[in-house]
Formats: sequence, structure tokens, C-alpha cells
Amino acid sequence: MAVGKKDISCPPYVKGREIKAEDIKEGKVTYWEHHPDIRYSFTAGQAISRFLKGLKEGKLLATKCDHCGRIMFPPRMFCELCFRPVDEWCEVKDTGVVETFSVSYIDPDAKPLEEPVIVAVISVDGASPKMGFMHILGEVDPDDVYIGMKVKAVWKSESEREGSVTDIKYWKPLEG
Amino acid sequence: MVFNEKIVDAGELKHIEGKIELYWIYTSGEAGDRFFKALKDEGKFLAAKCTCCGKTYFPPRIYCEYDFSETEFVEISGEGCVRAFAVATLDNNEESLKNPEIYAIIDMDGTDGCIIHLLGEMDAEDIRVGMKVKPVLKSKEEREGRITDILYFKPV
Repeated sequence: MAVGKKDISCPPYVKGREIKAEDIKEGKVTYWEHHPDIRYSFTAGQAISRFLKGLKEGKLLATKCDHCGRIMFPPRMFCELCFRPVDEWCEVKDTGVVETFSVSYIDPDAKPLEEPVIVAVISVDGASPKMGFMHILGEVDPDDVYIGMKVKAVWKSESEREGSVTDIKYWKPLEG
Repeated sequence: MVFNEKIVDAGELKHIEGKIELYWIYTSGEAGDRFFKALKDEGKFLAAKCTCCGKTYFPPRIYCEYDFSETEFVEISGEGCVRAFAVATLDNNEESLKNPEIYAIIDMDGTDGCIIHLLGEMDAEDIRVGMKVKPVLKSKEEREGRITDILYFKPV
């Protein structure tokens, strides 16, 4: 027997009352509703602002630390290994290697997608090893993607670019 | 040095704006519904008395949380005593209020429960712990079944 068990005379459950959407609309039940207005503004900072400006010009910008010699991509203003400011800006190539990937069949609202989206972490050529960012792959069948696959960025036309990561439409396999 | 090449034009610094959509409806529940409907339609205050131990809940509950017995609704006067109070001079956005608001915990007469609400028709200096107060309700047409149907509590 359970320790401290009481002699309970009431049924072990209380029957609930179903509420329909109409009951709330017609004011049959009392309720409290709330619609908080939550807005935020997130600054990109010095390094990423310049990186995004570079995207508009069709360039992938990185920063270099002369102490450890790393070329950091996406760029940052401070080397987190050497604890010192970075030394110079440089450009990296718009080709890279798929480090890992995932095939998504749902959108951000968890609704099914007609065409799956392939999300990949791409380490970019010209930057230090394993330095890269996340983007989507295109012009490729999900079954054909593999880790280590060479890819190349497909850019929007110059007039369409607006200084956002979406200025690169997707990354496509690099043949040969 | 990259530090010498910092972006100084604020227009060139990028930012991302976002909005989080949240919307909810919270129903008062079985006992809360009875309480707010009695307040709205009749201007009455309801409490719930345990049929077994006699403990009187305010706000009302549908069962006693000590012996799990059912409760019955009882009408109470709505008057009570100030147990504690605080004077707010700032609003939700930390802006100064022209007229400070006095919030109080009021022990309801004839119950073992209390309510947190505003005090009105008195100066903050005149409030004493233990003073008797009674509720001031909105007119019947204005009441909508919410806690704000009680405007404030005033001294008896």
C-alpha cells in the first residue's frame, strides 16, 4: 500500500466540460485573451555587416589573424583562439565542400513541402579548414548528395542582390 | 589593422528585424466561469466551501485541495481586510504615473482566500494593514466578466 494514502471518497476523475470555438465567440464562457506585440531588431555587427555588403558585390569576405594564420569565414573582428583583433580582410572562393547535410521535407511551420530542401554545412575553399556556413543545395537529387561533395555557389543577378545570405540562391554540385 | 577600417556610417551597419507572433485564449475554468458570470450578471461574489472540512476557497475551486472533496458555491459580501499593499508610481513601461496606483492583497471576509486588486478613493498615507474595504464595481452594462469589472476597493 502506498505510504500516506488517504481514504478518498470522490471519483478519481472529474468529468471535463468540452468548450467549442463558438462558445468563446458567443461569450458563453469567460476567458482572457492576449496578443503580445514582440518585436526585435538584431544588429549584424561590424564583421557581418561588411560580409553582407560583400555578398551584394558578389564576393565572399573573410578575415585573417596573423598570429595563428587562420582565415576565418564567416568573418569576425576578433580571433577567439589568440584573444586579439584580426589583421586583415580577404576574399575566399565561392566553391566549397559539403561537410554535412540534411534533407528537409517540411517548412518552418512544419507544413509538408512539395520539393524537399537540402540544407548543408559547406566549408568554403580559401578559408581555413572546417570554416564555412550553412546554406541550401540545388540542382541535385537528395539521393546524390554526399559528404565531401564539391559545390559552387549560384548567385542571384547583380540587380537582384540586396546584401543578404539569400543573394546566393543555392550551391550546386561542381562537376569534374 | 582591421580596427582602422571600422564601419562608422550607421546606415552601412546591417540589422535584421523580426516579430514573434503569440496569441492565446485562457478560459477561466469551471469555477472561475461561475465566479465571473456571477460578478458580471448579478454583481455578486462567489466562494467555494468544502463540504467535508469547511475550508472556504476564494477564488472558488471545484474541489478541495486538502481532502479532495467536492465544494459548494457560497455567496460572500465581497468586503475584506487589507493584508498588505504597495504603491506603484511607474507603469508597465517604467513611465511615471500621474496618479500612483495602490495594489493590495485583500483577505476576503468569510473565506480563507484573498484577492490582489487596486485600492481607490484614498491616499496612500491613509492606508493601514487590517483596514476594512469594499469593492466598487463597474455598471452592469460595462461589465464583461473579467477581474477589471471590479474597479477598485474603497474604505468602508
